[in-house]
Amino acid sequence: MITRSLLRFLKRTPWSTAMALVGMALGVASIVSVHLVSASISSRLDGLVPSSLADFSYYLYRDNLHTDDYFELRRLWRSGELPRVNRVSPVVDESAQIAGQSVRVLGTDLLSHIPSGETQTEPGQFVFNGVWVDETLKHTIPLPINGIIEAPEGTLLADISIAHDLLDWPDHQLSYIGLVIEQALDQSLELAENLLPGFGAGLPVSEPTLEIGPGWQLVNTAGQYPARAFGKSVLFNIAALGMLALLVAWLLIYQVAVSWLRRLWPVFDRLHVLGVEWQHLRNYFLGAIGLLASIAAALGLMLGWWLATKLLAMSLPNDVVALDLDAWVVLKAFSSALVVSCLGGAWAFSRSQRGGSGSLLAFITTLVLLTCGLFCVSQPDTGLAGGFFAIAVLSLAAGQTIGPLLTLLRRWSASIGGPYLIRIGIREALWHPAELSVALAGLALSIATAIGVGLMIDSFRLDFTQMLDHRLKYDVVTEGDPAALDALVKTPELANQAIRVQRYRTADIRVEGALVELNLTRMDAFESARYAYRKGLGQSEVLLSEQAAKTFDVLPQETLKILGNTVTVVGIFSAFGDLKPRVIADDQSVIAQAISDATKTSSVALSSSAPQTLASALTRSSLGLEIRLQSDIRRIALEVFDQTFAITTVLITIALLVAAISVYIAVTTLRLNRQTGRLLLDTLGVKRVEQSLTNLALGVGMGSVAMSVAVPLGVMFGWILCNVINPRAFGWTIELQVSASAVLWPCAWGMLAAILAGMLQIGGKEEGASYGR
Amino acid sequence: MKHHSALTVDNISKHYQDGGQQINVIRNLSFNVAAGKSMSVTGPSGSGKSTLLNALAGLVEIDDGEITLAIDDSNFSYRAATERARTAFRRQHIGYVYQFFNLVPTLTVLENVQLPARLNRRSDLEALASSLLADFGLSDRLHDFPEKLSGGEQQRVAVARAVLLKPPLLLADEPTGNLDGENSAQIADLLFSNCRDQNIMLVLATHSHEIAAMADTRLHLDARSTAILAAE
Repeated sequence: MITRSLLRFLKRTPWSTAMALVGMALGVASIVSVHLVSASISSRLDGLVPSSLADFSYYLYRDNLHTDDYFELRRLWRSGELPRVNRVSPVVDESAQIAGQSVRVLGTDLLSHIPSGETQTEPGQFVFNGVWVDETLKHTIPLPINGIIEAPEGTLLADISIAHDLLDWPDHQLSYIGLVIEQALDQSLELAENLLPGFGAGLPVSEPTLEIGPGWQLVNTAGQYPARAFGKSVLFNIAALGMLALLVAWLLIYQVAVSWLRRLWPVFDRLHVLGVEWQHLRNYFLGAIGLLASIAAALGLMLGWWLATKLLAMSLPNDVVALDLDAWVVLKAFSSALVVSCLGGAWAFSRSQRGGSGSLLAFITTLVLLTCGLFCVSQPDTGLAGGFFAIAVLSLAAGQTIGPLLTLLRRWSASIGGPYLIRIGIREALWHPAELSVALAGLALSIATAIGVGLMIDSFRLDFTQMLDHRLKYDVVTEGDPAALDALVKTPELANQAIRVQRYRTADIRVEGALVELNLTRMDAFESARYAYRKGLGQSEVLLSEQAAKTFDVLPQETLKILGNTVTVVGIFSAFGDLKPRVIADDQSVIAQAISDATKTSSVALSSSAPQTLASALTRSSLGLEIRLQSDIRRIALEVFDQTFAITTVLITIALLVAAISVYIAVTTLRLNRQTGRLLLDTLGVKRVEQSLTNLALGVGMGSVAMSVAVPLGVMFGWILCNVINPRAFGWTIELQVSASAVLWPCAWGMLAAILAGMLQIGGKEEGASYGR
Repeated sequence: MKHHSALTVDNISKHYQDGGQQINVIRNLSFNVAAGKSMSVTGPSGSGKSTLLNALAGLVEIDDGEITLAIDDSNFSYRAATERARTAFRRQHIGYVYQFFNLVPTLTVLENVQLPARLNRRSDLEALASSLLADFGLSDRLHDFPEKLSGGEQQRVAVARAVLLKPPLLLADEPTGNLDGENSAQIADLLFSNCRDQNIMLVLATHSHEIAAMADTRLHLDARSTAILAAE
C-alpha cells in the first residue's frame, strides 16, 4: 500500500523525480570527469620515471661516491641496522653521447632485479651485454637490445658494468644508491592516491632517519625527477580543485535528497497520521532515493567519461587519450551518490521529523577545524595538504554561515523598500534557510573558488609577465646543437649584425645531493638586471632561483658550497615554470673553472637594432639552429601559461553549473511546496511578466546572499593559493593582486546562475494551478 | 466613487476532464446580481462553488454561456476576453477573499493591504489602507508579517485588502470556513457591511446557513450541478 502510494506520487510528480535524477547524475558526472582527468595526467607523469627505477623512494648520495660505500651500506642493511629499508641498490645515472645523440644512461644491478614491464623485441634473444631502451632509441642505438621500457625519451637502462663502459667511468664510480624505504602511511597514501589521483603529492612527507654516519645526503626521489614532481604538484592543484568540485557535487546530491524529501513529506506525514511508523517510512524513503542514486550514478559515469574525454582533448589536442572506467572511479561514483544521498536523506528525514535546527556541536566543530586550518596556514611543514585543508575548512565554515545569515537577514527584511513585487522576491530569497541554505552554500563555494583561482591566475600572470619583461631583453634567441651554437658565436658576419651576443652554458650538477641546473654566462650588470639584480657577479657570487633558495634554505648574503667552492648567494630570482632549482654564475667564476669541461652551450642570445633581419640571416645560415624572436617567445610563453590554466577554468565552470542546478532544484521545490503564493498573485491580477519580476528579484536576492559570502571567501582562497599553496608546491611566491575582473566575472556568472535558477519555471504542469472546485 | 454595476451570468457551463471521464461542475447556470447586493452560494463539497467563483474572477474559462460585468456604461464580457485582459480586469475591478493563504507571507500587513493600490498605481489609496486596518482593529499590527497573526486577524486583513479599491465585485470563497463562531460572525459582518456601504456586489460561497442567510439572494448548487436560486 505504501509502495503504491509512493509510486503514484512519483508518477504524478515526474518533474521532481526527473530533476532529482538529473541533479544527482550531474553531480556524479563532475566527480567522474575530474577523477578521470587527474588519473590520466597522473599516469602520464609516472611515465617520466623509468619503470625500473620507479620503486626507489629515496636515493643516498655523497661526494665521490664509491662502490666501497655501497658495500659498507649493504653490510649495515644485512646486519639489520637499517630498519624499514627493503632494498639497497647501486645506481649510475648520467648523460652521454652515443651514436651522435644525447642518451641518459641508467645503470643498476639488473641481475638481482630484472626490469619489469618490458617487452622483448626479439623473444629469446636476451644477451648479458644487452640494454633496455625506451621506444625512441629502439632503432638508433648500436647495441644489443633486450627490451623496451616505459621511460622518458632518450633513456637507456643497462647493468651497472655496461653503464660504466658506456659512460667511460671507472668501475668503482657510482651516482647514488637507490633505497626502497617502507613508510608507515604507504598503504593509506596508495589508497588516497587511487581515490583522489594526484592527492598524494600534497601530503607532507616525514623524512626517514638513517644511522649511516656523516657525509651522506638522503634525497627523496621526487627531487630526482623534477619534471614529475612539478607535474604532480600541478596535478595536486587540479585534484584539490576537483575536491572542491566534489564538495559542490556532494552538496548538490544532498540538496536533491532534501528537496525530494520535502516533496514527499506531505505523503509521509499523512501516512504517519494513519499509523505507519516513522522508521518504516524512512526505510522506504532511503530505499527509493538509493534506487534513484544508483540509476543517477550509472548515468553520471557515462556522462562523466564523455566530459573527461572532451576536457582532455581540449587540454591535449595533439594526443589520443583513452580513458578507462576503472574500479576506483566506479566505486567513487556509486559511493558518492549512494552514501551522500542516503546519509543526507537520513539526516534530513530526522530533522524533518523533529524539526531540528543548527546544533552547537556543529558550531564548535567548525571552530576547532578553523583553528586547525589557521595552524596549517602558518606551518609550512604541513605541506600542500595543510594549505588545502585550510581552504576546505574555510569552505565548511562559509557553508555553515549561510543558514544563520539568512535568519539574520530575514529579521531585517521588513525594512526592504522598493516596488512590492520586488520586495516579495527578495524576501523569498531570505525567508527559507531550511530549503535554500545548502544550495546557496554550494553556489557561494563555486563563486569563491572561481574568484580565488581567478585572483591567483591573474596575479600569477602579472608576475609572469613582469618576469618575461625582465628576461626578454634580447631580441633573438638561438638554441640547438652545442657545437653549432659555438660556431655561431665565432661567425663574424652574423655576430657583426648584433649589438650584443650572449652565450649560455648549462650543466646539471648536484648541490647537497639535489639535482640542480647550473647556468654559466657573462654576468655583467646588463645580464644581472635580467634577474632583478643590479650589479655584475663576482667570482664567488651566485644568483639562486626561488626553488633553489628554498631547497638549500639560504637567504641573500648567505653562503653555499657548490662543486667544492664556497660561494655567496647575492640574489634570489623568480623562475616560474622552472622544473628544477637553478644556480647562475659568471663564466669566469670559481664554479665555472671547476666544471668548464662538463658544460655545453645551450643557447645564444643576441640584441640587434634590426631583429627581423638578424633572425632571417640566422635562419638562412646553414647552422641548423632554432631561431626565435623575443616577441614570439613572449607570445608562446603566455599561450602555454593560458593553456596550463584552461583546465581549471573548465573545472570551475562545472562546479558553477552544478551549483546553479542545485539552486534551481531548491527553488523549484520551494515553489512546488508553496504553489498558493503564485495562485494568490494570479488572483490579485498580477500578470505573468510582473511575476517574472518577482522571480528575477528572487534570483538577485539569492545571488546577493551567495556573493556576500563568496567574495570575502574567494579573496581568502586567493591569498592562500598565492602565499601558501604556490610556495609549498612550486617554491615560488606570487604577490596577490586583487583585480576587479577576477572578482566581478565569477560574481556575474554566479548572479546569472542564481537569476536563471529563480526565473526558470520548467515543470509548470506539475506545479499546475489548482484553484479547487 | 460608487459604481453603477451589475453582474450577469447567462447559461454558463463548465466541465473538467478526469481521465476518460467528463465531470460537469456547472451546468446551464444563470443569475444576476445588482450593485450593492449580495448573493450566497451554498452546496456540498464538489458541487462547483469554488469553480463558479473562479469563473466569476476570470481565473478559469467557462465552456459555454456568458458572464458579463457591467460597470457604469461599459460591459466586460468574460468569454470574449483573453487571459491577459481578464487578469488586468480582475486586478482593477474584483476583490477576492479565500479561506486559506490569503496573504503574501513575505509582505507585512500594511503592504498586503496596499498591494492592490500599488498594482493599480493608486497612490491616493495607500493612506486609506492604514485607516481601513485601524477600522478593522488592526492598527497595532501594521508592520507585522502574516505568520504572526491569528486566523481571524489574517481574514480581516484579507477583507481590508479586498475592499481597498472599492471594486464593483467582491468574491469570497468560504471566508469563515477556518474560523471559530465569534470570528466568523465578525468577518461576515465586515464583508456584508462594507459591501453594502460601498455599493459592492458580493458573491460569497459558504457552508454556513447563518452566513448564507445574511445575503440578499441565495444560490444552492447540488451534487448534480443543479442550481436553485432563491431570494431572501
